[in-house]
Amino acid sequence: MKPILLQGHERSITQIKYNREGDLLFSVAKDTVTNVWYSVNGERLGTYNGHTGAVWCVDCDWDTKNVLTGSADNSCRLWDCETGKQLALLNTNSAVRTCGFDFSGNIIMFSTDKQMEVLKKAKEHSRQINDIQPSVDLTIFISASKDNTAKLFDSTSLDHIKTFKTERPVNSAAISPIMDHVVMGGGQEAMEVTTTSTRIGKFEARFFHAAYEEEFGRVKGHFGPINCVAFHPDGKSYSSGGEDGYVRIHYFDPQYFDFELEA
Amino acid sequence: TETKKLPLYLPFLIFPILLFYFSELLGDILREKPQEADGIDSVVVVDNVPQVGPERLEKLKNVIHKIFSKFGKITTEFYPEVEGTTKGYIFLEYAAPTQALEAVKNADGYKLDKQHTFRVNLFTDFDKYMNISDEWETPEKQPFKDFGNMRHWIEDPDCRDQYSVIYEAGERTAIFSNDAKEPITVEERARWTETYVRWSPKGTYLATFHQRGIALWGGEKFKQIQRFSHQGVSLIDFSPCERYVVTFSPLMDTKEDPQAIIIWDILTGQKKRGFHCESSAHWPIFKWSHDGKFFARMTPDTLSIYETPSMGLLDKKSLKITGIKDFSWSPGDNIIAFWVPEDKDIPARVTLMQMPSRQEIRVRNLFNVVDCKLHWQRNGDYLCVKVDRTPKGTQGVVTNFEIFRMREKQVPVDVVEMKESIIAFAWEPNGSKFAVLHGESPRINASFYHVKNNGKIELIKMFDKQQANSIFWSPQGQFMVLAGLRSMNGALAFVDTSDCTMMNIAEHYMASDVEWDPTGRYVVTSVSWWSHKVDNAYWLWTFQGRLLQKNNKDRFCQLLWRPRPPTLLSTEQIKMIKKDLKKYSKIFEQKDRLSQSKASKELVDKRRAMMEDYRRYREAALQIYQEQKSIRLELRGGVDTDELDSNVDDWEEETIEFFINEEIIPLGDL
Repeated sequence: MKPILLQGHERSITQIKYNREGDLLFSVAKDTVTNVWYSVNGERLGTYNGHTGAVWCVDCDWDTKNVLTGSADNSCRLWDCETGKQLALLNTNSAVRTCGFDFSGNIIMFSTDKQMEVLKKAKEHSRQINDIQPSVDLTIFISASKDNTAKLFDSTSLDHIKTFKTERPVNSAAISPIMDHVVMGGGQEAMEVTTTSTRIGKFEARFFHAAYEEEFGRVKGHFGPINCVAFHPDGKSYSSGGEDGYVRIHYFDPQYFDFELEA
Repeated sequence: TETKKLPLYLPFLIFPILLFYFSELLGDILREKPQEADGIDSVVVVDNVPQVGPERLEKLKNVIHKIFSKFGKITTEFYPEVEGTTKGYIFLEYAAPTQALEAVKNADGYKLDKQHTFRVNLFTDFDKYMNISDEWETPEKQPFKDFGNMRHWIEDPDCRDQYSVIYEAGERTAIFSNDAKEPITVEERARWTETYVRWSPKGTYLATFHQRGIALWGGEKFKQIQRFSHQGVSLIDFSPCERYVVTFSPLMDTKEDPQAIIIWDILTGQKKRGFHCESSAHWPIFKWSHDGKFFARMTPDTLSIYETPSMGLLDKKSLKITGIKDFSWSPGDNIIAFWVPEDKDIPARVTLMQMPSRQEIRVRNLFNVVDCKLHWQRNGDYLCVKVDRTPKGTQGVVTNFEIFRMREKQVPVDVVEMKESIIAFAWEPNGSKFAVLHGESPRINASFYHVKNNGKIELIKMFDKQQANSIFWSPQGQFMVLAGLRSMNGALAFVDTSDCTMMNIAEHYMASDVEWDPTGRYVVTSVSWWSHKVDNAYWLWTFQGRLLQKNNKDRFCQLLWRPRPPTLLSTEQIKMIKKDLKKYSKIFEQKDRLSQSKASKELVDKRRAMMEDYRRYREAALQIYQEQKSIRLELRGGVDTDELDSNVDDWEEETIEFFINEEIIPLGDL
């Protein structure tokens, strides 16, 4: 199926996130804008206005009542999802890189360049980690790293379970809610591109089998490196946000669900 | 001598250490002390000194003094004379024996002028040689170094060829055995070479480069066979017979001791001869004849041909060829082709000369020549001279190919005129076809010609609008790859020249190199880190252009196939095998099928095991998840969110209309 193209940002996308039920897709970017879209057709619902710097992260609570965003303007803001009204402003001492609601939606967490509370540590990657996303049931999570790999971990023990290898830095990875698949997006550093590519839309999202660690498919389309990927909670579609400022929603063809690697 | 400061506490410690320091301090002084008792050890005899009369003696002494005082302090000199003229040999005494040794080492062989090359010896050596015993003693036997079977790789039962790979920007070098499924690692070493590697022409040795020189490795385990010390070596070349290796270093040359280029005997490790070298711009400077009997080099107006194993000039003199621009050996016979440009009234010409007789087999005059390039067919059956000319009365440059038929009596020459500028030219390695890329981007054409027996050269086919700047023939002929490397983004075309059809058109984005395996079954295209910093990998294709493998290697730099030694089969035997090919094919196909299914089975088994493990892990995690259900309900105020349809009762239904399409349908006349 043809992907739905969301054009609502003027600079690179930093994060995209579905709400728990999947009908809404949030996108934030370096242009200070936070958008929310209907995932079914790509129609934009609205914008949350207020941040004065690049927005690095976004999260939505389980009931789709509140939205949380973190920005380079040293603030974390809470919004009413439906009306777009800013409910609270938390000032921080430096840029906010990650933020989120807990399972109940009553507690907020965020980390900045200067502060973070460490509960547990695990070192498996050899270069910086760009993204971490949990599975829908929160039992496992996947990390995406500049060392060209993505790794699957057990959430409780932080045991390293699987590794998915590529030849480019991985910016983001996500776990399918219904299949044994993971999707990864990345690209090369802008500095390393010394020749202009004559192939437009060459940046790809790559699908790996979670158990076999083998790549089985790629989706082209972005004009720049992919910064964030996310599966729809029902596992029937996925989205990707790129350096090119576009968010692309892809619905899977029936063959995707039937596909099996010989075993 | 410099005074060394003794650590204060040492004198109170061990006596031997004190003693050691003293001898260190004094050693230098002791060494330099003049030893009168051993006066004759500091004397050298210089032979081949010009014989001069008294009027030139002073000048001669000054020249000698200038040359020889470089090695030390000359305390005495003696110029024997007979009837007022010097005899032609002199005695020089130095302040110390070490200085005399230096003089022998560096001035022996010094060319003063055309007629006088110094021979310098220690005076004591004369004594030694005069007293040589008449009894001959057998030289001590050197222990035999067994390197094992040097041709071990050829005995691979599945006929896999090897190739070397340099990656991690040069930090790691590996040798792989080529299997269609995936490469098999044979050997892998860190910092095996400091820059790059080279295989010897018959595949026996792998040469690695180091600051101090080169090393040769071989045998089943790639042990070090030989080492050649040549500080700062940057280039090497092997003789085709693998008996000699030539090394070049820009650092080493001194006037007295030519060391820029050194020729070594590989088996003994001996340095055979050193040469000067002005520039290494066109390496190899020395070109070898196909059988390794001769090697030659060109200097302004001169062609010097040397013979092995003496390493001396053939007939003790070089050939004087005024204006010689380029030369090359036939790869099949001991024939040299060279060309000279126009000289006043004499036209430019290409000459074929037989060695060692120096007989001119063929001379071809060429008119209005701008430049020539020599292209030999790999068996020496044909020579193509690419001639760029500016015809009289025109401004532009046109190109002709002068094709010399070497196997025919009196070497007839046929001319092929080309209308466009030439980008690349290549002979079919063991056949009579050649391919040309001509034109200018974006209109580049590929033309294929056949040199027929009846004296005609036929254009078989021309492909136009090709994305190609290089031609790569299979070493077995018939098949070839046209590639657009580097700036042309890696466009590839696989051609079967038996009927000039394109078997496949593909691309390896940003490919910088194409390498055929020695058997002509496989082609490797690669993106080297030396030319492009990302996507460094090498891809393996069949000769028909079917992609078999993509091998990504961190900062991949270079892949080189290991050459094979020439076949031991006679032409008769090869004919027989080709006749019975069907019989052999059956056996090989069966073998292939078995290994394929074995691979699939291995992969399938591996996957099954991985899936079982994974399932088991997920089930355990799911168990814990179920146990935590009550906590989840509590956190969300009793709402069950475990599945998307867990709380269906709470759902709201909403109907949304989407605009899909607009179509205007004209209704006919009502």
